[in-house]
Amino acid sequence: MAVSAGFKNDLLAAIPSLRAFAMSLSQNADKADDLVQETLVKAWNKHESFQMGTNIKAWLFTILRNEFYSQMRKRGREVQDSDGVMTARLAVHPSQHGVLDLEDFRVALEQLPDDQREAVILIGASGFSYEEAAEICGCAVGTIKSRVSRARARLQDILQIAGEDEFGPDAIDAQVMGSNAA
Amino acid sequence: MNIMTGDMGGRGAKRTRTGGTNALGTNSEIGRKLKQYYDTLVSEEVPERFAELLSQLEKAESNQKKD
Repeated sequence: MAVSAGFKNDLLAAIPSLRAFAMSLSQNADKADDLVQETLVKAWNKHESFQMGTNIKAWLFTILRNEFYSQMRKRGREVQDSDGVMTARLAVHPSQHGVLDLEDFRVALEQLPDDQREAVILIGASGFSYEEAAEICGCAVGTIKSRVSRARARLQDILQIAGEDEFGPDAIDAQVMGSNAA
Repeated sequence: MNIMTGDMGGRGAKRTRTGGTNALGTNSEIGRKLKQYYDTLVSEEVPERFAELLSQLEKAESNQKKD
């Protein structure tokens, strides 16, 4: 079956988001664009497995994510050591009155383990639901929730944000517990 | 160092005040920065190579059909 013009347009429209996600995962512009290119080729070749009417962005993010981890495995992944976290703590100055520099934030984000970083990006920035993020990552909804929670706590720690009033650990705990009970 | 900001600390005391259901929402500094970080990436100019790639894939396919 031929690839429809609509499908091609959907791919074109998704490229900025795919690049942002690839950049968030790989933290490297060249690697990110290679990932996007590979994702587009794969998506094109398996367009028949995409079900019309479902979320094409989630489908594409899934392909990109799988590609990222398979490339990491092939390369014999660059292990993130805990020294990195200490470096970040030293590099980032305590924020004043909750105002953070974007570059400080980027450095802190880079220190997160891959699974936590992708969870926090999918939920907090790409606009996916917990259910969609779980599907993209091939894991349980509860796993995504706990990764987001740990990522947030870690970012607060690295960036030395206190401000319990605004984003204390309770807010997300309540959310996780609430949905588990349902 | 910053043990008290971890998930083990401060539980319960301010439960009613934290209130929000989305800890990464626009009410939190981390939520805001996360969006700002991502939006910066999304709004970057897309290199031509991707549109060219899709056109090539399209062309390759229509050539295949003619054979």
